[in-house]
Amino acid sequence: MKTPIILIAAAVLLTACSSGRLQERDEFGTDDQRELILRQTGANPRDAGLVLFGVDRSRQQAEAGGTGGGISVNAFLWRATLETLSFMPLASADPAGGVIITDWYAPPNADNERFKAQAYVLSRQLRSDGVRVQIFRQVLRGGQWVDAPASAGTNSEMEDRVLSRARELRGMVASR
Amino acid sequence: MRKILLGTTAVVAAGMLSAVVTPAAAQTAPTVRIGGSMAAYWGYTLQNGRSNNSGLAGGTTQQLTTGSVGGTAQNLGGLAITGPIPAAGGTVGGPLAVGAAPAGIDGATRMGTTDFVVLPAINFLIDAKLANGLAYGAQIALNMNSLEGRQFTQRRSSAPRTTMSIDEAWIYMRHPTFGEIRFGDEDGPVGGLMNAGWITGFGTGGVFGAWEQFGTRAANNRTMTAPGGIGDNSKIVYLSPQYFGFDFGASFSPNLGEGGSSGCPNDIASASCDRAWAFRGASGAGITAAGGSIGARRNEFQLSARYRGEIMPGLGVQASVGYLGSAAARDITNAGASARTMRGLDVWMFGAQASYAGFTVGAAYSTGAFNWFWGNLIRGSRNGQQVTAGIQYTMGPVTVGGNIVSGLFEGGARSAFDPATGAVNALAPGSAGTAMQRRWGWGVGANYRLAPGLDLIAEYAYHSIREPLVNPDINLAGAAAAANAGRRAQTQVLLVGTRLAF
Repeated sequence: MKTPIILIAAAVLLTACSSGRLQERDEFGTDDQRELILRQTGANPRDAGLVLFGVDRSRQQAEAGGTGGGISVNAFLWRATLETLSFMPLASADPAGGVIITDWYAPPNADNERFKAQAYVLSRQLRSDGVRVQIFRQVLRGGQWVDAPASAGTNSEMEDRVLSRARELRGMVASR
Repeated sequence: MRKILLGTTAVVAAGMLSAVVTPAAAQTAPTVRIGGSMAAYWGYTLQNGRSNNSGLAGGTTQQLTTGSVGGTAQNLGGLAITGPIPAAGGTVGGPLAVGAAPAGIDGATRMGTTDFVVLPAINFLIDAKLANGLAYGAQIALNMNSLEGRQFTQRRSSAPRTTMSIDEAWIYMRHPTFGEIRFGDEDGPVGGLMNAGWITGFGTGGVFGAWEQFGTRAANNRTMTAPGGIGDNSKIVYLSPQYFGFDFGASFSPNLGEGGSSGCPNDIASASCDRAWAFRGASGAGITAAGGSIGARRNEFQLSARYRGEIMPGLGVQASVGYLGSAAARDITNAGASARTMRGLDVWMFGAQASYAGFTVGAAYSTGAFNWFWGNLIRGSRNGQQVTAGIQYTMGPVTVGGNIVSGLFEGGARSAFDPATGAVNALAPGSAGTAMQRRWGWGVGANYRLAPGLDLIAEYAYHSIREPLVNPDINLAGAAAAANAGRRAQTQVLLVGTRLAF
């Protein structure tokens, strides 16, 4: 009997030490025939079946994921890109091609430089390589705007912000 | 770090949800979903143990340890009770001698080899979430294949195979920080929720699969000594979150009853009553009967720890250790005193498996105080042990695999309870029941996925049981039984069919 007690104590200790990851139903075994068939045949047990009452959230997520609504790229990435670049004036946005181009924007505290952004949403899936952001910078020299390199890491920093926001958006939909 | 996939798998996404849930958006009204499944197989069956029992065959006995007849007039079909009978209202614990048989009615049944089996099921799933992140809901599974069909000796009072019954039914509450609780008729952490090494993801499960639907129960030719065979008796289950790849589980069940308070009629508390902790015939109820609802197991608890992780790129591993413990009901002597005749379950289960490039291999080992079908042992019996191994490979829509199981169990008891003295006496050396029972089998199978939720299956399984000195065919009598002692009871099934789930 000592060993089971040690096992319990270790589990309690570990639980107290850190916050864990919530596990979904399909991470545990089952002998339910329906669940087994769905898992083995590649179907998703979470959204299979017919919704009798309530809202079919799996369908909402599928539509938000780019399979509906006239958006041919991932909707989370698309919306996240739009929101992230919303501090700049928008020049054009093509949801079918996944291209967002902003106009030139001069930060209020730096009148002698301005920025422009082009963003490409490349994927239907919510993936970290599904978005590319290119920042262009110009500085004012002698009354002329001339091209200048943006600081290193700006592009990837913007992409990180887009991905973080996309993750938040997906989380909000999934938890509804 | 930036290049780590954000949410390409459901598992990863689920892990991230806990960090990004915003209370204002978290609350969800209950969603009620109906799903189901349907499987249909053609099977070619070869088995021995085909002797006939019309229910009237002379010279045979049937052990009635769980029924109750005392005090009420019941038509026993001409059966004569030869065992000791307690006072009115009690339970019959002795063997019943079957009346004389019409000449020529006994003998081997002529059985065909092919049959169809249909396995329908309906599931109800309720899911909701509160604003504080607590998810809750329930699951109810209705199976229409749980019963094994009418038995001749039961005449009109039995139910057909297609009778609907509840398989699993439980309420859950799941919190991102504290984990999940399931309460109801459900398998435990060792009983299938957190087991590594049992490779059953091909065909219908290989040697643990649907072949059992085709063979008769001669010699209990089944492989129920698998995690799912521990039973989905009413229990409360705790499943922890995952910490650094580790998670833990525990469960408790007071008895073997499903549905709670089962088998406790108004005026007679029989052996099948959930709360009976001592009853006549407990010594013969170590192996569960009647679908697992009746047996001597009491105060069952399960503990399990599991690790899952990717130790190399593409190489996933999983390992688990589990403990299954229990007490056992006591028997009753002729004098009305309770006697401790059974051993509690005391079982350790270890398992590990690895997956790489479509391959999954695994093995599991169980050892400790248990008999086949996870039965309780009578005092003086030896521990059991069982090993299983399997491999499967998935390539596109095709999955193929095979598994094997071999167990050594006490089988027939080598000691017996004497209700006259209250003692458990060892049988004479060399008599039937003193040897160990070997149960082993193997299976191979293949699936072809036609669509998500639909596949075609072909599978073959072999299973064998042998215990020296013991006649595996209980319906044989006299010289035929003696000649059959120590022989093997075996079943082979080839099945082909299809399954659909929605």
